[in-house]
Amino acid sequence: MKRKIQNFINNINLLKVRFWIQLTTFILFVYGGYFAIDFGSKLPMFTCPYNTQSAGTCYLLPLQHQLAMPAQILLGGAGIGVLIGLLTFVFWFIFLNKAWCGYACPIGTFQDWLTGLRKTLGIRYSTYTQNQFEKLSKIKYILLAIVILVPLLIGVGAIGNDWSAAFCKICPARMISPMFSGDFSQWVIDFSTTTAIVLTALGMIFSALFLVGSFVKKRFFCFFCPMSALHFIFSKFAIVQLRKDGSKCTKCGDCYSVCDMQIKDIADDVTSTNILRDDCILCLKCVAACPEDDVLHFDILNFKAFSSTKEGFEKRMGMEKPKGAFDE
Amino acid sequence: MSSLTNHTIETPNERQNRHKAMEAIKVLNTLREGFKTPPNAMEYFYNLFEEVYCNQKALHCDKVKVGTMCIQIPSEIIYALDGVPIRLCNGFYADDEIGSDLLPQKACPLVKASVGHLASKNVIDKPDMIYSPTTCDQKTKAGSIIESFGYEVVDVAFPRTKESEISREYFRRSIREFSADLSSKMGKKLSRKNLKAAISKIGYAQSLYHKLSEFRKNRAVPILGNDMFLVTNAFFFDKIDNWIAACEKLVSELEQRVQNAVHVAGKVSPRIVYTGSPPIFPNYKVPLIIEDSDAIIVADETCSSNRMFNDRVAVDEWFVNDMIDSLADKYLKACTCPVFTKNDDRIRRIIELVRSHNADGVIYQAFAGCTVYELEQRSVLEAMEREGISILYIESDYSPSQQGQLSTRVEAFVESLKIKNRNKK
Ligand code: SF4
Ligand code: SF4
Ligand code: SF4
Ligand code: SF4
Repeated sequence: MKRKIQNFINNINLLKVRFWIQLTTFILFVYGGYFAIDFGSKLPMFTCPYNTQSAGTCYLLPLQHQLAMPAQILLGGAGIGVLIGLLTFVFWFIFLNKAWCGYACPIGTFQDWLTGLRKTLGIRYSTYTQNQFEKLSKIKYILLAIVILVPLLIGVGAIGNDWSAAFCKICPARMISPMFSGDFSQWVIDFSTTTAIVLTALGMIFSALFLVGSFVKKRFFCFFCPMSALHFIFSKFAIVQLRKDGSKCTKCGDCYSVCDMQIKDIADDVTSTNILRDDCILCLKCVAACPEDDVLHFDILNFKAFSSTKEGFEKRMGMEKPKGAFDE
Repeated sequence: MSSLTNHTIETPNERQNRHKAMEAIKVLNTLREGFKTPPNAMEYFYNLFEEVYCNQKALHCDKVKVGTMCIQIPSEIIYALDGVPIRLCNGFYADDEIGSDLLPQKACPLVKASVGHLASKNVIDKPDMIYSPTTCDQKTKAGSIIESFGYEVVDVAFPRTKESEISREYFRRSIREFSADLSSKMGKKLSRKNLKAAISKIGYAQSLYHKLSEFRKNRAVPILGNDMFLVTNAFFFDKIDNWIAACEKLVSELEQRVQNAVHVAGKVSPRIVYTGSPPIFPNYKVPLIIEDSDAIIVADETCSSNRMFNDRVAVDEWFVNDMIDSLADKYLKACTCPVFTKNDDRIRRIIELVRSHNADGVIYQAFAGCTVYELEQRSVLEAMEREGISILYIESDYSPSQQGQLSTRVEAFVESLKIKNRNKK
C-alpha cells in the first residue's frame, strides 16, 4: 500500500499539480483580505501589503521599520521585538523552505504566468550565460544589504527619514501587487524629496523591467530577490529539503535544462547531499525531470516524499508506449 | 561476364560477402545453439542479422539513409526529418582486412573495419550521406578518408572537454548546424510536432532497454549478455518500429522468465560488468569467451549498448530550439566516451553498474590500437582497486587467431572470482 502511494506520487504530473497549488495560494494570499484572512506580517514571501487585500505581509516591510528605530531604543527593549519578528519569520519559513517561492509567493507565481503567456505565444525563453549568471546572482545579497543597512543608518541618524523602507520603494512588487486588485496608484513618482524622486523612479524602472524581463526570462526577478537571499541563511534548518544521491547521477543535465533558475550544481555536483542552492525556488521541476531512480528527492524530514524515478520521468516526458503506433 | 561458361570466378565483392557471411553465421549459430535456452523472442534478432549479413538484405530501400560514425549524432533529429540513421561502426574481420591497406598498421580495428567496409563499395543500405562527429583521432581522420571514396561526409564538431560551459554552448551550436544541414538536404523542416514525436519514440525505445536491463539485476539472469549485445546492436540499422515490437516481445518473455526464476547461466557463475571498446557484430569474441567460461555479463558500459540507451532527453518547453538544445546536452553531457579529458563519469557509471547489478567483477576490453581506451585503463583500474572491485584488463583485435590465449586469461579471472565468492560464504 505504502509503495502504491509512493508510486502514485512519484508519477504525478508535477507541472499540473504545481499550477493548481499556485493558483490556490495566489487567490488565498492576494485576495484573502476580502475574506478577512490574515497570516500576520512576517511571511517569508512577497505578499505585498501595498496591495490592501493581501492576506498577510511580506516580512521585509516590518523588518525595515523595526530596524529603523532609533539606535538606543533598538538596543534596549525593542531588540526583543526584532528578534520575535525574526523568529516568526523563521517559524513560517521552516515549513516550506524555499518552496514558499516555488509554490506560494504571488510574485513568483505571477512570473510563471507571464512565462505561460510567452509559451502560448510561441516565443522562446532567453537565458543568461554562465558568466552573467554568476555576476547577476550576487545582486540579491546587495539588495538584502540595502534592506538591513539603510534602516540601521536611519536609526543612527546618518540619513533622513525619506529613506524609510527604501527597498520597498524600489521593489517591483510594490507597484505590481496592488494591480492584482485593480489598484494602479503605486505607479507614480514621489516628488516630495530628491531621495524619494530617485527611489520611486528606480522603482518604476524596476517594475517595467520586471514585466519585460519575466516575459522573456523564466523567474527573471527571483534572481535578484533579497527575500531569496534571506531564505538561504535559514534554509538548512527547514524541515523540507532537496537532496541528491550523486553516486547514481549520470550528469545528463536533464535537471539543469528544466531548471528555471539555471542552477548548474543540480546536475554537476555529485558529492553534496543537500543540493539546495541560494537561487533555488524549490519548484521540484528538476526532480520531475531526472530520469534516474532516487537520484533527486524532496524530503520531509528524512522521509522521501517525492523522488525521481524512471517511470515517472517517462510518464511526464510522454515517452510511454505511443498509442496504436506500433501494432505489427 | 562471359556467357560461354557457367563457371564464374568469384568477384572480390562476392568473396567479401562470403567471408562476412561465414563470420556472421558462426556467431549466430553459437548464440542459437551454444547456450542453454535463448529466449524465443531472440529469434527475431538472429534472423535479422542473418538476413542482413548473410543474405545481404537491404532494409531501407525507400528511405534516405543517414550514416553516423559515432553515437553523438542525435537519431531523434534524423527520424524527425524522415531519414533513417545507420550507424557505421563495423565489426567484421573481412572489412578490417580491407581497411588495413588504407590505414596505419596500428590503427584501431573498429575504424579499419568501418573504413574498409565503405571502401569496398559493397554496402547494403548504403548511406546517402555521412555525419562524422569529431570524437577520437582515428574516427575524426577516418571521415576524410571515407570522403575520398566518394561519400558525402559532413564533420560535426564535437568538444573533448565536457565539464565546461563553453563546450555545452559549442556542441549546442554544432547540433543546430547539423539539424539545419540535414534539414536542407532532406528538404523538410523540423517542427515541434515531428521532433517531439521522434523524441518520444526514441524515449520509448530507451525505456524498453531500461526494462531489459532491470531484469538482469535479478539473481536469476533471464538473458545472456551476448544476446543483449545483439539486441542493442540491431538498433544500429533496424527499422525502428520493428525493433520496438521485437523488444516488447522480449520484455514480456523475460518478465515471465523472471517470475519463473529462469537463469541462463550456472548457479555459481560470476556476474560480470563489461566495459571498454564496443563489441560490434560479429566481433563478439571477448563477450563470447566470457560467457563460454561460465560467467555471465549482467551489464555493460560500452557505446554499442548501454551508452546508446542509458541517458534520456528532458525538455522543459517543447519548442524546436529547446528540443535541439536538450538533445545536444544529452549527447554531450551524459556521454561516458573515453575521448574526454577527464572521465570520472565513466568510472562512476561502472561502479554504479557493479553495485546495482550485484556484479562480482569487471572485464575491461580495449582494441589494440584504440588509444583512448588503452589510455584510460590505468585510471579505471586504480578506481576499481580503491573500490575493492576485481577487474581484468585485456587487449584484443578482430583477428580470429588469439582465441586460445584470451580464453586462458578470462577463465583464470572467472575462476578467481568463484573462489572469492566461495570464501565470502
Ligand atoms: S525569490 Fe521570487 S518567489 Fe521567492 S520571495 Fe522573491 S519574488 Fe517571491
Ligand atoms: S514592496 Fe516589496 S519588499 Fe516591500 S513589502 Fe512589498 S513585496 Fe515586500
Ligand atoms: S537529471 Fe538526474 S541523473 Fe541527470 S544530471 Fe540531473 S540529477 Fe543527475
Ligand atoms: S534546482 Fe530544482 S527545485 Fe531548485 S529551482 Fe532548479 S529546478 Fe527548481
